[in-house]
Amino acid sequence: MFFHIVLERNMQLHPRFFGRNLRDNLVSKLMKDVEGTCSGRHGFVVAVTGIENIGKGLIRDGTGFVTFPVKYQCVVFRPFKGEILEAVVTMVNKMGFFAEAGPVQIFVSNHLIPDDMEFQSGDMPNYTTSDGSVKIQKDSEVRLKIIGTRVDATEIFCIGTIKDDFLGVINDPTTI
Amino acid sequence: MSGEEEENAAELKIGDEFLKAKCLMNCEVALILEHKYEQLQHTSEDPMNQVSQVFEKSLQYVKRFSRYKNPDAVRQVREILSRYQLAEFELCVLGNLCPETVEEAIAMVPSIKTRGRSHDDDAIEKMLNDLSLIKKFE
Repeated sequence: MFFHIVLERNMQLHPRFFGRNLRDNLVSKLMKDVEGTCSGRHGFVVAVTGIENIGKGLIRDGTGFVTFPVKYQCVVFRPFKGEILEAVVTMVNKMGFFAEAGPVQIFVSNHLIPDDMEFQSGDMPNYTTSDGSVKIQKDSEVRLKIIGTRVDATEIFCIGTIKDDFLGVINDPTTI
Repeated sequence: MSGEEEENAAELKIGDEFLKAKCLMNCEVALILEHKYEQLQHTSEDPMNQVSQVFEKSLQYVKRFSRYKNPDAVRQVREILSRYQLAEFELCVLGNLCPETVEEAIAMVPSIKTRGRSHDDDAIEKMLNDLSLIKKFE
């Protein structure tokens, strides 16, 4: 789910940026530093949307750098266990398939794909029901439920399932 | 990590910080990101090089999965859903997935049926009807 939250960061600024454009420099450095990063707690920082407040700068001894506490608003994407969302299938193999929901990757193992769907290999590997009516392949859109998340320093990785009511393919690329 | 372990969106356990935060539906994120992208186009030659991969992927994703395109409709969806005493998170899941039946809505957002809240099936059905009307007249 996407959220709009306020975060705080201590920004170090080199003295050459001081002057009339100090604030602009600070804001553009903030965007460069935080946009695209990911933390386990807040998820992926997608975009900075505004500055709430810039605190008083503190001159560091010895270097002349100044640290400013900056409070900023941003859009983050944070997946949660138990959340249901839509995703695009990016890769299918006999172990299951990978899907993407925005910046996050979700793996759905073949144990969590309904039992009546069989893996079919070939140049377009896919999972298909025995009557051929439902097919999961690259670029399919699926609705899935996140059942686990793994967080490391710079990435969040999710495990999902489509073995539940109202989950599964919502749109097959071959039929449009 | 103990807080992490108990996380479960189905029971609305998403941590205090996110529970109080403002949730955004995909269509709202699309409006925000497209606006930001347009601003970048004015200031730089090659905006796609300026943005992070996370931004690019998110923009593609929300464009693909936005149920409502027009800003007025997006505003109406939020307004209508906010009449039903939903948590922010629940509101956005409903707005994103647009369930068609009461059964589906409860499967998508199990928490609307728990905690002794006042949502009976009729209220949920009315809410879904209101939502589908916006889609129809968009």
